[in-house]
Amino acid sequence: MPERTVTIASATGLHARPAKLFVEAAARQGVPVTIRLGSSGRAVPANSMLSVLTLGATHGSEVTLQADGPGAEAALDELATLLATDLDA
Amino acid sequence: MTEAVLDRRAVRLEAVAADREDAIRQCGQALLAVGAVREPYLVTMLERERSISTYVGEGVAIPHGTLAGKDAVLRDALSFLRFPGGVDWGGERVTICIGIAATGDGHVAVLAELAEILLDPERARVLRESGEADEVIAILGGAA
Repeated sequence: MPERTVTIASATGLHARPAKLFVEAAARQGVPVTIRLGSSGRAVPANSMLSVLTLGATHGSEVTLQADGPGAEAALDELATLLATDLDA
Repeated sequence: MTEAVLDRRAVRLEAVAADREDAIRQCGQALLAVGAVREPYLVTMLERERSISTYVGEGVAIPHGTLAGKDAVLRDALSFLRFPGGVDWGGERVTICIGIAATGDGHVAVLAELAEILLDPERARVLRESGEADEVIAILGGAA
């Protein structure tokens, strides 16, 4: 299954504004996307704010996005780029 | 930590708010009343909310201050206010507000723990329905 591993760039980690923007972007994708902490953590739906908050991902945390099906590669590229950007800036 | 994260005095099961800002102020007042924050923190809670909604789904909002408000946090603490009549939250209906005060980077861990609780149907049901403040404290007391 296609996946991307990316480091959280936002200074405050993946919560509040960065989490909101990420979850909204994930919900816009045509395919379900999951996110997990590191490479072995539990995968949770990327379009659920509560689920994303459970990761407790801080600045510098590595997360892995995964999706399958038509459009998966483009969806992962877009979301990975978002996480690699400091969304607090 | 010597003091409880969720003080009994910061739990209100039958609160009423005129609107979203009123609800956030009440969450902040509860944190203020138990000595977890200083007054300026309340302003930053409202600023945070204007910047980005703290609604997290399932009728729950988690008001907290901005990074600039950290100086006004004296210790990690929660407040729990239930609004049985609901509060309009930018089009969403909120019945549970959990106010958060966290020093340093503590908020990320607090939010993660809170989210786990809210995603657990059994514990979330207690938070929504229990008439006993002690039951709410038993669940949220460990969330920091």
